[in-house]
Amino acid sequence: MMASDVPALRRIGGRKARWAILTASFLALVPLQYGIDVELRAHSKLEELLYVPSGKILRRLSLGHAGLLADIYWTRAVQYFGRKKLDRARRFDLLGPLLQITTDLDPQLVVAYRFGAIFLAEKPPGGAGQPEAALQLLRRGIVANPNYWRLWQDLGFIYYWDLKDYASAARVFHAGSERPGAQVWMKVLAASVAAEGGEIQASRLLWSEIYRQTENDQIRRSALDHLQALRAQEDLEHLNRLLWQFRQKAGHAASSLQDVVAAGFLPSIPRDPSGEPYKVAPDGRAGLSPHSQIDLRLLQ
Amino acid sequence: MSRVASVALHTFKESVRERVLYNLIAFALLLIGAAILFGSISVGVEEIILINLGLSSISVFGLLMAIFIGIGLVSKEIERRTIYSILSKPVYRAEFIIGKYLGLLLTLAINTAIMTAGFYVALFYQKRSLSLDDLVVLEAVYFILLQLALVVGLALLFSCISTPILSAVFTFCLYIIGNLLNDIRWFGQETGSALVEKGTAVLYYLLPNFSNFNASAQVAHGESIPPYLLLANSLYALLYVGILLSASILIFEEREFR
Repeated sequence: MMASDVPALRRIGGRKARWAILTASFLALVPLQYGIDVELRAHSKLEELLYVPSGKILRRLSLGHAGLLADIYWTRAVQYFGRKKLDRARRFDLLGPLLQITTDLDPQLVVAYRFGAIFLAEKPPGGAGQPEAALQLLRRGIVANPNYWRLWQDLGFIYYWDLKDYASAARVFHAGSERPGAQVWMKVLAASVAAEGGEIQASRLLWSEIYRQTENDQIRRSALDHLQALRAQEDLEHLNRLLWQFRQKAGHAASSLQDVVAAGFLPSIPRDPSGEPYKVAPDGRAGLSPHSQIDLRLLQ
Repeated sequence: MSRVASVALHTFKESVRERVLYNLIAFALLLIGAAILFGSISVGVEEIILINLGLSSISVFGLLMAIFIGIGLVSKEIERRTIYSILSKPVYRAEFIIGKYLGLLLTLAINTAIMTAGFYVALFYQKRSLSLDDLVVLEAVYFILLQLALVVGLALLFSCISTPILSAVFTFCLYIIGNLLNDIRWFGQETGSALVEKGTAVLYYLLPNFSNFNASAQVAHGESIPPYLLLANSLYALLYVGILLSASILIFEEREFR
């Protein structure tokens, strides 16, 4: 090695050391940020806070980008709802204000009224359990989008399903059926609800339409759960009638559905929509298997 | 006319050489592309998000380009002392100003076209098809261009009378005020004071009303802009740009360069 190479080597060594220090500094940021995150999570009351609670003010501050801001708030509402649902939370304090801001920023964002109302109305832990807030949201949606008939459908649904107010539901379905472009089945629905409010047929018609129309997997899953619960309830009512007939004929209650099959009332033991066989409960009535995936509480 | 065209072409070539321009376009295209991912974490608004984010990107990055290039249109020439050689040629000062304005407008129009093409590529990727209904977005893009035409006019005017930094501040402040004019006027009416009400009414008509051109949310829902509004806003921008250019020419003609 020549003497003239020494400063050059030192320079290279120095440069390498500087890069190493730089890399080490960046790596040191990782545990530091992790520590800050842990500390912030411990004081995470801030999460339930809206820095600007008014959509009207946000609209002014958006400088013409209110549509984009509405999309951001809607996404925030969806994420908030999804996180709370995963946590099986009973309170959804920010959901209403987030939806209010979203629709103030973009009153034509119908998806926020439609899905937002479902998020608000459904009972906890599936939703916020605030059907009145859902009605209010949908009414504002109807004022902003008077010709969009599906908002009437959603309004009627909340009256029907969550508030069990069948007269109002029938009235709303009828009003919606008069809107331009409304599907014919809205009239059928109005008549059906008016005639047999609370009956399984009307409920099935409603949930079937939701299942058919929605593009959202979560809502489709919920509609399917409700449809399956309705079918199970119908099956149970039928089985209870058969159990009663068996008792009349045999003079004693059936201890299992096998007895009913043996007596010729059924060809085989029927299964619920999740594939589990129905059972006879200790009280002598038909019931679901403990392994069944069907949740009859959805119908309460 | 040919002199205006050569100043415009020169300005265009000079603007195109600005490296910041490419960074802004690249960032805008990146953001438009990111809208596809953003839409996937939301529910039922994938296309609306893409349109809103696309139009906002085109508008915001166009605004940044208009301000940062516009403020240097005249002041840079003075700073570099190239103004002397330009004015020593047979070019009227009015032609110089109009040429500068048209040159930057051409740059912005081409950049907007590139960003719009990027937006349509993203839309095609998301929808797997494009239809005639998607052309409604072009109406909002046209309004963005009208907005940019006004911003360039303002930047050019301030460039004739102030330093680049102050010109940027003034232009940006006027852009914000111009977006809030409806609220300023409403505030004046709410105060109950006749003087404040008249003052805010004067401001309302005097300052450029940028909120006239906000149509993104409307087209995101597939609604077309009424023809009257297209025509009236075009005339408004044309008239206002005419005023700004005339004022710039008047100021520039009175300036002495030693």
